[in-house]
Amino acid sequence: MGDYADNDYALALGKEVAIADVDKELRLLWEEDKASTNASLINLAVYSERQGAIIKNSELVQIITREHACRALLIGVDRDSPEASIRAWITAHCHLSHGRKSVCCEQVAFQLTGRSTGRLRNTVFSHLNSDLPLVFWWQGELSSLFSERLYSLIDRFIFDSSEWSNPEHGYACLSEAMQSEQSLLPMDIEWTRSSQIRMAIAGLFDDPMAANALEHVSELHVVVHPDHRMAGLQLLAWVIQRTGWKRSSELSLDSDLGDVYYYETSAGSSVTAKIVSDPLSAPVGKMEFIAPSMEVRATREVGSPYIRQELHAGEHHIERRTPSNSDDSAELVMNQLSRAGNNSLYCAVMPEFLGLLNAE
Amino acid sequence: MINPFRKDLESRSRPEACTVVIFGATGDLTHRKLIPALYNLQVEGALPAGVKIIGFARREKSDEEFRLGLEVVNKKVSRSGHDDSIWQDYAENIHYHKSEFQDASGYERLADRLDEIDRERGGNGNRLFYIASAPEYFDDILANIKNAGINRNKSGCWSRVIVEKPFGTNLPTAKHLNKVVSKTFRERDTYRIDHYLGKETAQNIMVLRFANAIFEPLWNNRCIEQIQITCSENLGMEGGRGGYYDSAGAMRDMVQNHLLQLLSLVAMEPPTDLSADGVRDEKVKVLRSLRQWDTPELVAENVVRAQYTAGHVDGENVVGYRDEDRVDPESMTESYVALRVLVDTWRWSGVPFYVRMGKQLPKKATEISIHFKEPPTVLFNALSGGVPGGNVLVMRIQPDEGISLRMVSKIPGSSLRMEPVKMDFHYATSFGKGSPEAYERLLLDSMAGDATLFARRDEVEEAWKFIDHIHHAWHESKAAPVMSEYVAGTWGPKEADDLLGKNGHKWRRL
Repeated sequence: MGDYADNDYALALGKEVAIADVDKELRLLWEEDKASTNASLINLAVYSERQGAIIKNSELVQIITREHACRALLIGVDRDSPEASIRAWITAHCHLSHGRKSVCCEQVAFQLTGRSTGRLRNTVFSHLNSDLPLVFWWQGELSSLFSERLYSLIDRFIFDSSEWSNPEHGYACLSEAMQSEQSLLPMDIEWTRSSQIRMAIAGLFDDPMAANALEHVSELHVVVHPDHRMAGLQLLAWVIQRTGWKRSSELSLDSDLGDVYYYETSAGSSVTAKIVSDPLSAPVGKMEFIAPSMEVRATREVGSPYIRQELHAGEHHIERRTPSNSDDSAELVMNQLSRAGNNSLYCAVMPEFLGLLNAE
Repeated sequence: MINPFRKDLESRSRPEACTVVIFGATGDLTHRKLIPALYNLQVEGALPAGVKIIGFARREKSDEEFRLGLEVVNKKVSRSGHDDSIWQDYAENIHYHKSEFQDASGYERLADRLDEIDRERGGNGNRLFYIASAPEYFDDILANIKNAGINRNKSGCWSRVIVEKPFGTNLPTAKHLNKVVSKTFRERDTYRIDHYLGKETAQNIMVLRFANAIFEPLWNNRCIEQIQITCSENLGMEGGRGGYYDSAGAMRDMVQNHLLQLLSLVAMEPPTDLSADGVRDEKVKVLRSLRQWDTPELVAENVVRAQYTAGHVDGENVVGYRDEDRVDPESMTESYVALRVLVDTWRWSGVPFYVRMGKQLPKKATEISIHFKEPPTVLFNALSGGVPGGNVLVMRIQPDEGISLRMVSKIPGSSLRMEPVKMDFHYATSFGKGSPEAYERLLLDSMAGDATLFARRDEVEEAWKFIDHIHHAWHESKAAPVMSEYVAGTWGPKEADDLLGKNGHKWRRL
């Protein structure tokens, strides 16, 4: 277990129990405290192959359970360990619901090492709350453990493509999984990062002057932090998929200004779309549309809780602030979970996005 | 040009930017509900960009004074707290327009102001008029809106009106109000607001019924014994409310609108679609099917009215209804009403709907309970004591919103003993995030042109038709049914218990 001592695990994860006794110990946990309510709407599995991640993930789950009652299954995996072992801890995350009732969510944490990682499915998933959907949050790169045996159990699959060193490979794995398991619903945290910017842009184009000028846009600028290039591509794919703009020539990579793409609107206007990576930018820092008679802009400064929305069309100006997405992964996952639904927009945009990604 | 970016972004109709004109802008409703609701929509990024708010009222105020007064209240009541930065942007779009409601020139100035805003906004002339004034001004306001020409839809734009309750005080006045409204706005542009319909749990009634296959087959007179709809309040006439209440009473204030709306959601047939008229067509059929209690004898048999006498609520002494501030000492206004309602349809034939509403009851609660028939008198019912109570499905509207189902279970042990147990779902426990205020949803719907959660003209009139017979028996017949009494802090008069007792039923203990 690397740099972490047993005590670190016990402090963060609760009582260590034998694998065979997990259910019995959970029952005892509830019998100890009659004043609490056990609540669960989903099974939330959080998987990571990073060392010590289950300790950090226990803190994230504590946050998530404030809004999303669940049975949490934390899964820490160390495939390279020479020792084959499975350990388990149980605890409950409790909070006062609306200042009144103490509502608690169970958490079972598993640490699997060495050859025991092959027992992931049988060991961990025997502890799901029956009939509740399984939301699986995979942290980091997709590994060989992301196989049909695993994803056939999953209802919603949360991942963060900004964590992938090889996004093309990651999306190829995901596409294969989705073809094999049609009910698997992908939820990319990177996509959620841009949700408030998308809301802001959609809100600004509610304005008839902005909407009328959309076909005459000549420039589209997206500014993202270098770690969040996927968000930039997704935003561009969203615009293309929604507007039906046609690619007019090959993309120009490694331009001084970033990635540059050329499109043509149905009105025949040529659009230069640039995705700029700026180390000083917020994860998603700006999205801007420029037409001869109109500018629409949504910007976010690093760490700011707001998005600045601007619309300038002649004498007509709108400027306002709306809330931005959090940079915190737990908050982003909460946002994902709150939206529920079938993530249809993401699924609709995905082919365009994959086209941009694979064109490079 | 349609905004392509809205599609699939949210699973709801798209609200459009507009200018919201609130008549009665210095009142409590504007300060405590409307402005905080619009602010919360802004906080959530749901308010369309470019929405302007004009407060129309009689008092002398500057924009700044108006905004400051709104800000003070918003800080106290806003569901999402108060963020100075967001408020600053939001408040810049709030303006004050001083005018008497009867002053035609005030509306002409309003028209100029709206045109100016439209020009600034590049021609978008969507207008949403919210009539939040006292009802006696409705006629003047609507007539003056028409005379000023601001009710007319500009090309490609809309003008809509939201009318707050009461929608009249009886059928003739409701018809009159509807006629006045229809002279100024088309029915499709008229939004009669009943904030109960904006509550999350009221909206969930349709979801529970039609998105769960297990309930609909049981939702009829073969399986359901009776249905109870209760709205109990543990308050009296605090805050000077006695003046209004004494002219209205429990029947007009709550039953005619909120409780009959809940009843129609429970009793309606599945709509053909989820469009506004699809849903409202089915609701109005229920109201049309209510058996009319149209003689004093039938009213006496099926309706109980009562006033509270001095007692204790929440450990505090409270005075009797007739001793309340601004209440007539000889008042014949009911602070409590209980009704047996029959819905004469194939589905509900013979199933009584018991509806009760009361002030100064032991606690605040609104709920609907579906009482299923008991199992046949064989097997367990043949045992001593029988089965302890039938299944009850409860939809709690407020507070502690949720759904529970009572079932019978065997008590562990060697003998066969049974007790009722409860499966309980609490919104607050399962969904940590708070529900939006009803006004948030309803304001957004009106900007989106979705009238599903608003009452239609024929619904309002059908509801008044039912209520008017009862009021006529109470106040205009020679053989008027008696006004009963109940001690404040109790669950109502004995006569209300007897109303159910006649059919072998009991009020559900809340």
